[in-house]
Amino acid sequence: MVATLLSHGWKKLSRSVSFSKELTTTILLTLFGLMFLGYSLALGFALDRIITNGLKHEDSFQFLNGLLLYYFVFEFMIRYFLQNLPVLDVQPYLHLPLKRSRIVHYLLVKSLSHGMNILVFILFSPFAFTAIANRFGMASAFSWILTLGLISFCLHYLVLLFKKGLDDTIWGLLTLVGIFSFLGASDYYGWFKLSDLSASLFALTAQGYFLVMIFSLLFLSIYFFSFRFFLNGMYPEEVSFGKSNAWGKNQDLSFLQNFGSLGDWINLEIKLIIRNKRPRTILFLSTFFLLYGLIFYNNDTYTEKMPGFLLFVGIFITGIFMINYGQFLFSWQSGHFDFTLTRPISLRQYIESKYWLLSTVTVICFLLSVPYVYFGWKIILIHAAMTLFNLGINIFVVMNVSMWEPKKIDLKKGATFNYEGVGAAQWLMSIPLLLGPYLFYLPFSLMGYPTAGILAVGGVGLVGILFRTYLLEVTVRRLEQRRYTIAAGFRKD
Amino acid sequence: MIAIQSLKKTYKDTSVVDVAELLIGQNESFGLVGNNGAGKTTLFRMILDLIRATEGQVLINGKNVQGNDEWKSYVGSYLDENFLIPYLTPEEYFKFVGKLHNYSDDDLKNFYQKFEELFHDEILGKNKYIGDLSKGNLKKVGIAAAFIGNPHVVILDEPFENLDPTSQIRLKQLLDRERKARSITYLISSHDLNHVTDLCERIVILEKGKVIKDLKGDNLLAELEEYFKA
Repeated sequence: MVATLLSHGWKKLSRSVSFSKELTTTILLTLFGLMFLGYSLALGFALDRIITNGLKHEDSFQFLNGLLLYYFVFEFMIRYFLQNLPVLDVQPYLHLPLKRSRIVHYLLVKSLSHGMNILVFILFSPFAFTAIANRFGMASAFSWILTLGLISFCLHYLVLLFKKGLDDTIWGLLTLVGIFSFLGASDYYGWFKLSDLSASLFALTAQGYFLVMIFSLLFLSIYFFSFRFFLNGMYPEEVSFGKSNAWGKNQDLSFLQNFGSLGDWINLEIKLIIRNKRPRTILFLSTFFLLYGLIFYNNDTYTEKMPGFLLFVGIFITGIFMINYGQFLFSWQSGHFDFTLTRPISLRQYIESKYWLLSTVTVICFLLSVPYVYFGWKIILIHAAMTLFNLGINIFVVMNVSMWEPKKIDLKKGATFNYEGVGAAQWLMSIPLLLGPYLFYLPFSLMGYPTAGILAVGGVGLVGILFRTYLLEVTVRRLEQRRYTIAAGFRKD
Repeated sequence: MIAIQSLKKTYKDTSVVDVAELLIGQNESFGLVGNNGAGKTTLFRMILDLIRATEGQVLINGKNVQGNDEWKSYVGSYLDENFLIPYLTPEEYFKFVGKLHNYSDDDLKNFYQKFEELFHDEILGKNKYIGDLSKGNLKKVGIAAAFIGNPHVVILDEPFENLDPTSQIRLKQLLDRERKARSITYLISSHDLNHVTDLCERIVILEKGKVIKDLKGDNLLAELEEYFKA
């Protein structure tokens, strides 16, 4: 039975249209995964030497133990973003004479076959079987690594429970941010030191197997709790997307109604963004990206020696929504593209509504980034120049490249690890977006006038804005030509 | 009203639609029947300029539909769920489409009144998104929206499919009533020979994309049954 289910799982993957179509994506992701695991393995082997020689800590066992709880908080974070709920695939089996408990067990066990579950072993077994085995003996090494593995498995199911409970809502993200800030604050104000707690907890592994026993029990109870939880939550209607009706009734921005049908289409798209998980997540991420500058701006290496690098930061801070949302500009409405084509709206108005939506958000991002003036007027100059460039040039790049074989996006699906709609266009788009400004910046900066370079980038953006009508016309003509192909692509599943 | 001129659609080597000439007059109720794969939906999509014709053209009111937005203000259509917006409530959707046709609140109220019977208290005021409606209710929303803007032409693909018997009868009455009240051209495809003959004065049988029969008169049902028996 399990074998049949597994073979169905494989067929689903290999026979899906996206498998062959998005082969590039799959290959790239696999490569990234392998690279990541390779680095982890190398790090694992070097761990002991890094701690004793590099960081000059005599007792590498104690030092590493002190870090482990932080590691697990971090692991929980990564898992939150990388792990998917396994529930959606079971619908075709629910009405068949299969025991529901068996389906749930199958799902829960199968979900363990995730790259994240071997990470802890790859990272820490080299250390266990060299450093720990040498000092405390093989038994302690096993006890240590088993404890870590069990905690990691516990996290695996905790993340699933967490996601099922707070599925992609803002509360999920806020809880995570809250946990992090609490841990940081407690270390800072000295309420308790997580590192001390962690060190003394894992030191116990050297004294026998009872930590392994405790965590085995914990693991089993979490597993059975998840089992009960998923068993009760297998009704398809509960994963339907109309769940969050609380998102408010009237989400029309009334001032937009003064702009005629243009405003109506923008209002429609705002509803699309607010009422569906994936675009909503993109919106949340954009607000987080506003803080991106904090990493770089309080660091002199970037602000003094590498002002050119800050162009990247400027593009992202002001344009992240435009890029992230705009790369699927037509795919978002793939479900009702036929509707759009048969209603009394011209493609020109359609494109213009998208233009105004993207550029308004870009301007809002710029305005929100003004407090960065704290780090110097130059930061604002860069942001202003990049805003102009985003509005004059990048917006048209985004709109035109996203027209290139857009793929259908099912709005009902969540955001995490969802690569639906990603194709060659989305990979290639970033090249002109990120390198474009340097075409105009580098000549000046190489001659020794970086500020003039920044002004030049802004100037080019301004020219683009002035020629907006013409550039919009070109975009509309291209959509005019591509509309049939795009519509046919969206009708296919 | 609608003129189809040597319209062809071929995918690679297979011809999906191949209609030499078809004229549909004003105030005509035109039915399209044919087995699965006959090309009914493709033909409708070409009339609505959703698929590029390999050859030939479709004229509505004497103007080519291709590259032209004018016809959209007087042609209402509902082919499939791609015509609906799943993340809106039905009211929001109707209001949105209404705005595109410059509807006032009063116009919208009249419109709701007209469809009250068909909606059967299952569509309006339910606080449900369209994406969460049943197939039958989706159909009702789509058909109703096709009538917004008092169109001169209404194109419906399989309007009776997924509707319960009561709704089927009510829909039929509603379509009849509309056409008695004002001049309106229907293009309706259906697998239900009874309904389509009740509703349409003229019926065209499509097979492998070609017009096989163009029937008018009193004996439509018998002729159709005769044809499809074989």
